[in-house]
Amino acid sequence: MSVPASGETESQTVSTAPHRDRTGWLRLRLSLLLQILSVCAFLALWGAATEYGWISTIFLPSPRAVATEAGKLVGTGELWQAIIASSRRVFLGFALAALVAVPLGIVMGVWWPAKALMDPFVSLLRPLPSITWIPLSILWLGIGESQKTAIVFMGSWIYILLYTLESTKRVDPLLIRAARNLGASDIAVMREVILPGALPGILSGLKVTLAISWSCVISAEMVAAQTGLGAIIWYGKDWGNLALVLVGMVGISVTVLLADLVAERIERALLPWERHRRG
Amino acid sequence: MMGILSANRVTKEFLPGSGQGLVAVHDLSIEIEEGEFLCLIGASGCGKSTLLNMFAGFLQPTAGQVRLRGEPITRIEPRCGMVFQSYALFPWKTVRGNVEFGPKMKGIPASERRRIADRFIELVKLKGFEDRYPTELSGGMQQRVTLARVLAADPEVLLMDEPFAALDALTRQVMQEELLQIHESQRKTTVFITHNIDEALILADRIVVMSARPGRVKATVANTLPRPRHVSIQLSPEFATLKAEIWRHVEEEVRKHVAPAE
Repeated sequence: MSVPASGETESQTVSTAPHRDRTGWLRLRLSLLLQILSVCAFLALWGAATEYGWISTIFLPSPRAVATEAGKLVGTGELWQAIIASSRRVFLGFALAALVAVPLGIVMGVWWPAKALMDPFVSLLRPLPSITWIPLSILWLGIGESQKTAIVFMGSWIYILLYTLESTKRVDPLLIRAARNLGASDIAVMREVILPGALPGILSGLKVTLAISWSCVISAEMVAAQTGLGAIIWYGKDWGNLALVLVGMVGISVTVLLADLVAERIERALLPWERHRRG
Repeated sequence: MMGILSANRVTKEFLPGSGQGLVAVHDLSIEIEEGEFLCLIGASGCGKSTLLNMFAGFLQPTAGQVRLRGEPITRIEPRCGMVFQSYALFPWKTVRGNVEFGPKMKGIPASERRRIADRFIELVKLKGFEDRYPTELSGGMQQRVTLARVLAADPEVLLMDEPFAALDALTRQVMQEELLQIHESQRKTTVFITHNIDEALILADRIVVMSARPGRVKATVANTLPRPRHVSIQLSPEFATLKAEIWRHVEEEVRKHVAPAE
């Protein structure tokens, strides 16, 4: 059914504007429906595979078992505690990284000696995955909250720095010239042109990095933590409770998805002039 | 008497490494009087934009001097306001925000700034669009914003680098007429680059024809068409006579440019 429908909308996109709006709306609805169908079909297949023994539940627990396990965790409040614990670590590490890396990236973008001083460290630190910092961070900070925050920080700041540097350097030089021609001082060029000009790039860099921060916290929690979504997964693994592992995994997906939605909202609010372009 | 803006035996050479190593302007002298509307006309690549960029202080001459009121221009000069062909509007500022930029840089208080902006937005006929962002406007409207922005900054000289080149022919005609009215009411010294003879004759008091590379002054033609003018002046016999005269000067240069081997 879906194939002729999509063919029809294709041919209609070339017609008049109100028509296009209508088919666009229709396609949006249809696409949502297909997404829901796709998820339902997957769950049904998964359920059937475990129910009829196509796959042993030793290797893959049934969706029912995962839901029951999730229900238990919600009931005891453990799931919320885990989500809050992980989110707090991500938020702290990420905010700290942004606080350091955004100003540093801007300075490196406008003042070449700063870039020259920082470049060697950026090149050497960039290839290191954040988990390689786990031994040192445990030695220095123990296995408490500050160690998790540090892992998130180490895994995030360099990406934020690179995105900020790139967007600062990419601000249209013609606009800087125009601003100076209209009488802007160095500080005014910075405030009125470079910062707002780099802002869209910085924000999309922060959004990409936020997902990276999440993967950092999970790896830190899987190595040494009592709380958090990563700890749930590791606990499930240690006790042979695969359903619990899957609850942790789904929990991560959903939480990061929600965090991304919030980030998207914030981005749109901060960039009113891009609203028109993005529709 | 000395003009407000002058180029004195100016040469600009772009060195290899930062281009192809060419002489864009050679030993050029020109004098612009206060309140005058001067059009620079010439084939593409004759160095007219280079000259304008030196007047704005974006470029420094290799030899000779450009001067504003007798002082050499050695850095970006806010008293020479530039209207860019590609508009160069700040996309994150609304129409009002863009027009207020110059007054804001001068430290004029917000309420006064707003009054100035409103006045120039009205002058370029954009009332009702104050809160729009540039990307929401057509090319012609964006160029009006640029014009309002530079006028609100109140420079002593307006530099215009083929400001209407990116517009369609009809919009262009309307913009020329509005620029005529604005110039005749404000009498601001203007240097306007174009490669369109009709445009030059409609707008200018004096037309300077530049030779093909390296750029030099080939001829200066006083535009005797009466003011106040209207774009319909294009239909008059005097217009045709002047156009023929300018074309005679330009033609040779264009041919050189099109077939440089001969």
